[in-house]
Amino acid sequence: MSKVNALVLAGYGLNCDNETAYALELAGASARRVHINSLIDGSVGLDDFQIMVFVGGFSWGDDHGAGVIQAVRLKTNLGDKMLEFIDKGNLVLGICNGFQTLVNLGLLPGFAGDYKTRSIALTFNDCGNFRDDWVSLKVNPSSPCVFTKGFDFLELPIRHGEGKFYSGKAVIEQLFENNQVVIQYALPDGNPAEGKFPFNPNGSINDIAGICDPTGRIFGLMPHPEAFNHWTNHPDWTRDREIMKHSGKKPDSNLTTGIRIFKNGVDFLARKNP
Amino acid sequence: MPYRLEIALNPDFFDAEGEGIRQKAFHYFGLKLSQVRAINILTIDADLTADQLKTIQTEIFTNPVTQTSSFDPIPVEFDWIIWVGFRPGVRDNPGSTAVEAIEDILRIKFKPGEAIYTSKRYCLKGKGLTPEDADKIAGELLANDTIQRWKIFSQGNWDPEEGIGFIIPKVMLDHVPCVTSISIDSDETLKRISDKRNLALNPNDIPIIRAYFLDSKIQAERAIVGLAEPTDIELEYISQARSDHCNHNTFQGLFHYQDLSTGRTEVVDNIFKTCIKEPTLALKEKKPWVVSVLWDNAGAGRFDDDHYYVITGETHNSPSNMEAYGGAITGIVGVYRDPMGTGKGAKLIMGGYGYCVGQRDYNGDLTPYLHPRRLLDGVIEGVRDGGNKSGIPTTFGQVLFHPGYMGKALVFVTAVGIMPAIVDGKPSEQKRTSPGDLVIMCGGRVGKDGIHGVTAASEVFSETTPAGHVQIGDPYTQKKMHDFILEARDKGLIRFITDNGGGGLSSSVGESARFSNGCEIELEKVPLKYKGLDQWEIWISESQERMTVAIRPEDLDRFLALSKKHAVESTVIGKYTNSGKLHITYNGKTCAYVNLDLLSSGFPQWEFDAQWQEPEKRGLCEPVIREPNNYKALLTDILSRPNICSREWIVRQYDHEVQGTSVIKPLVGAGRDVNSDASVIRPVLESEKGLAFAQALLPTYSAIDAYHMTTCTIDEAVRRLIAVGADLDMIGGVDNFCWPNIQYDSEDNPDGKFKAAQLVRSCRALRDICLEYGIPLLSGKDSMYIDGYLTGRYGETHKVSALETLQFSTISVINNINKCITMDSKIPGDLVYVLGETGNELGGSEYYEHYGYVGLNVPQVHSRQFATLYRALGSAIEKEVVASAHGIYRGGLGVHLTMVAIGGDLGMKVDLALVPACVQRTDRPSIRVDRIDTILFSESAGRFIVTIDPENRKIFENIFKGLPCACIGVITDKSGDLIIIDSKNRGKSKTIISILVQDLKAAWKKPFGDLI
Repeated sequence: MSKVNALVLAGYGLNCDNETAYALELAGASARRVHINSLIDGSVGLDDFQIMVFVGGFSWGDDHGAGVIQAVRLKTNLGDKMLEFIDKGNLVLGICNGFQTLVNLGLLPGFAGDYKTRSIALTFNDCGNFRDDWVSLKVNPSSPCVFTKGFDFLELPIRHGEGKFYSGKAVIEQLFENNQVVIQYALPDGNPAEGKFPFNPNGSINDIAGICDPTGRIFGLMPHPEAFNHWTNHPDWTRDREIMKHSGKKPDSNLTTGIRIFKNGVDFLARKNP
Repeated sequence: MPYRLEIALNPDFFDAEGEGIRQKAFHYFGLKLSQVRAINILTIDADLTADQLKTIQTEIFTNPVTQTSSFDPIPVEFDWIIWVGFRPGVRDNPGSTAVEAIEDILRIKFKPGEAIYTSKRYCLKGKGLTPEDADKIAGELLANDTIQRWKIFSQGNWDPEEGIGFIIPKVMLDHVPCVTSISIDSDETLKRISDKRNLALNPNDIPIIRAYFLDSKIQAERAIVGLAEPTDIELEYISQARSDHCNHNTFQGLFHYQDLSTGRTEVVDNIFKTCIKEPTLALKEKKPWVVSVLWDNAGAGRFDDDHYYVITGETHNSPSNMEAYGGAITGIVGVYRDPMGTGKGAKLIMGGYGYCVGQRDYNGDLTPYLHPRRLLDGVIEGVRDGGNKSGIPTTFGQVLFHPGYMGKALVFVTAVGIMPAIVDGKPSEQKRTSPGDLVIMCGGRVGKDGIHGVTAASEVFSETTPAGHVQIGDPYTQKKMHDFILEARDKGLIRFITDNGGGGLSSSVGESARFSNGCEIELEKVPLKYKGLDQWEIWISESQERMTVAIRPEDLDRFLALSKKHAVESTVIGKYTNSGKLHITYNGKTCAYVNLDLLSSGFPQWEFDAQWQEPEKRGLCEPVIREPNNYKALLTDILSRPNICSREWIVRQYDHEVQGTSVIKPLVGAGRDVNSDASVIRPVLESEKGLAFAQALLPTYSAIDAYHMTTCTIDEAVRRLIAVGADLDMIGGVDNFCWPNIQYDSEDNPDGKFKAAQLVRSCRALRDICLEYGIPLLSGKDSMYIDGYLTGRYGETHKVSALETLQFSTISVINNINKCITMDSKIPGDLVYVLGETGNELGGSEYYEHYGYVGLNVPQVHSRQFATLYRALGSAIEKEVVASAHGIYRGGLGVHLTMVAIGGDLGMKVDLALVPACVQRTDRPSIRVDRIDTILFSESAGRFIVTIDPENRKIFENIFKGLPCACIGVITDKSGDLIIIDSKNRGKSKTIISILVQDLKAAWKKPFGDLI
């Protein structure tokens, strides 16, 4: 089996490209960081890849709405090529600034194969500031999302100033109806955050932290799975280690939650193209 | 014709920005607003068709879900409207990205002079809001006069058709660039011109400068290139290079030091050489991990066989006092260029900060340019945007409130980078320019920004400080350049690289040309933001986000192609030579021709009188306090003091996890809200090695003796790393001095001699402790003149000088991050130990400050004993028998036991009778401890609180045999009490304190708990 090739966008103020590529490698993919301009000028083509990752950062400084200018540039210069990429059954992942870009491109929510309409906003946090914190997330077991298979609860860091998920009532209802709401902010015990700060860190409607398209192959989320690539990334790791020592256990050396999210995607493609 | 697009959130949509302003107006001024809505405005000064305008409106600038927009003013309810826009020439980052997006989507190019300007219109509603209130909100909350202007509209004078009108802050300089010759007929003439042109030449330098230009041989050489008298650009170059900021004249000065207690006088020559350079070189000999120190933009240490880490720190005080946000963002983005310009270029991996400001709720009579609260808010936000948008984790920082910083607040910024040990087959830490190499300027363009910034930093802040030196850093442009530089480095294209910071091209080209011994610069090639800059302005402008790079001519095409891919502007502006001359031309005509070695020869040392008097003889003594009986209230109140309480709101707005490297975060514990002793990252993701980083600031001890301030500060910074698992032998340091003016003046600086003596003592302490602990100084900077003149109630002015301040940063490689330790208590039943002796060292303590005293018994560092203890703790952590470790810092044992308990969200019971205490010391009998308040609040250095699993007791105690180490209690149940007893019954009752840990936490979190 040849390796799954992952394209990780870089440049123009994006800043999570290195660790995202690292996470994909840990998950079994062959990852390549590609400057947005190399994609635009055609020196790198989408044909060689099966996963495209829109990473976190501040593309174009986020000056006119997070992810807005990145979306404009990709739509203007790449447009149909991205749609072809999706048509082939490939995967698209958008993390933080990448999620913001996906909704501004219209790749999400992607109702009924419409990958062009902007119907969702990720806007300024209700708390009025950028925030770095770990959040608890409830996973929708009925979602078609390929990345979250096997999870019912996650802990990941969020780091954003514009993560408030917002849309009109009809869109929200349809998202739930289609099981496109993949992850929601929760209390540490797994119950819904119900808007309560800081568990819902930004005031997102219905605690929505991440959604997928109806196929489950396009996934956008505000939290950063790539920043949980080693067990020492978790804020409780020194506490957990001590508790395990008391019960005579060794720390869990398996892949972290963050890496398993990427691995789900890589495994999906490996199964699809054996 | 210009167009104006207004963009607003839909009326039913929550306006987080507006709400923030509404709350600030109440908290700052007590003004009750019922609503604030913000409208973004783009003024488009470009020829676009109606269709084009429609396209950019819908495709770029209006979110279809949340926003509405219009080319006419959007009707939003208001009682007052405040419009705020930039002044001409101020960096407008969103304006530039708007142009980029428009050019892309319309596939057009803006013509020269065309631009987009962003501004904001705030619609305020509030009953009974007066014009004065609106003015206050505009001038003191929404806008800063130095970079912005504003207009206030009442309902009466708002024209709903016209709106704000068309305000275009275009720079128009109706000026033909010209070079001016400067007369040097006498020292007085040159002095007069120096003052007039704000050159800040030291009077002692003037004869040397004149002698150079009057030398007949020099004159003959100059005549050949068409020059006679010095030109303005030449004098500006010399002035920049000779400024205290660039040349560190103070530290290299000659001190006439007199100890009044002993009557002894001595001459102390060049404290930089004797206290910083020599000890560091001596340590470099002993420590093979020290790679590069004392010459480059940052120092380098070995991370592993394949990587070096680099570190440096600096301050950005003067600009931040004028425009807090702009000053601070320029500071952090600026210090991030130092690692980029170290060796052949390093990747940025971590940042730190330190803010020293007046009390946030100050309401006294003095009126600083910016109120401390506004200043602090602006500084916090500036470093937030600068760090977050650079994609660099900000993992550690400190805030310190003290009235001394009302005169000048301090903004420390620290940068850590990493680079491969070998680049293109050659050592990465080495670089040089060679004759024939091209001089390239990369990144931003040059404007009038920051002209005379360096010399302004070398002057005391007053109402006449030019506001023109305030800038707004642009992390977006710099991030693009950072990515570009790293790729160019890895392709082996970079021969030499340095940043354009203080002094601009003058400094970066001047310094890089010393390697090849000459350069020829064609100044007209430097890309400008707007026309009309004089040659000297281009040469010394401090416009940000620029690097100077040397490359081989044959690499030019590859370098420029890579630059284009990364959307970074790079321009060849000249070449390096070996002529011995700095030769600058403008359109072929020479405007500067100076010997490069002029600066390294012949200038006189600065001289200072320093006079030391012992604290006792200055009238300091221990206060007379009888022991308190309500320790519960006392501890609770001390936890709520501004310098002790939680500042979580700052930490949370800084991205401290980007790059995916976080190991020990700035906030740790069960509630993830207690400050960790140090931060640890895993900068090479494939490796299990880490970098630990911490900082310390203890200026209050300077009120007694800056010698001990210095040793204690360094000890704390070291101890912080030891607490997370660092090895003492691997620690490197960075010293950042901020000192008030030390030049004695009978009227203006009557205690200047004392401040000079404090500096000498501080540097000697730095030397002593660094040699004893074995800490090489990887980097360091000094910022003098932390004084200000503040107007009082009656129109009088007061000179306010800050305490002598040193921020010390420590960094260390961690061999195995999996063994790192955090400070929070872990499991009920774990034993609590105190390591190190507690003495009666309350001088300068938080406890005394709480009562308004200074005291005398300042903590002292006994480095040899301490080092043994630190090695023992290191060994215990290495053997994995430690559950938590935490240094005892400001506030003493009482405060830090509380921190350990809060961190674990567990109870704790301890007996103070068991705390290792100084019962007798022959050398310092006065520090004997026999009181509860002394044990609880003394700030003796060299101490830790450690918790361990009782199973490890034997191994642990064996390691500490013969050292001050005692088990003082036990960790108890979740959400339990902190119980402090004294089995010696020295208090009123045996139980000194019994209080819910939750209540202590609430008190500790309360002061700034509402801030987000």
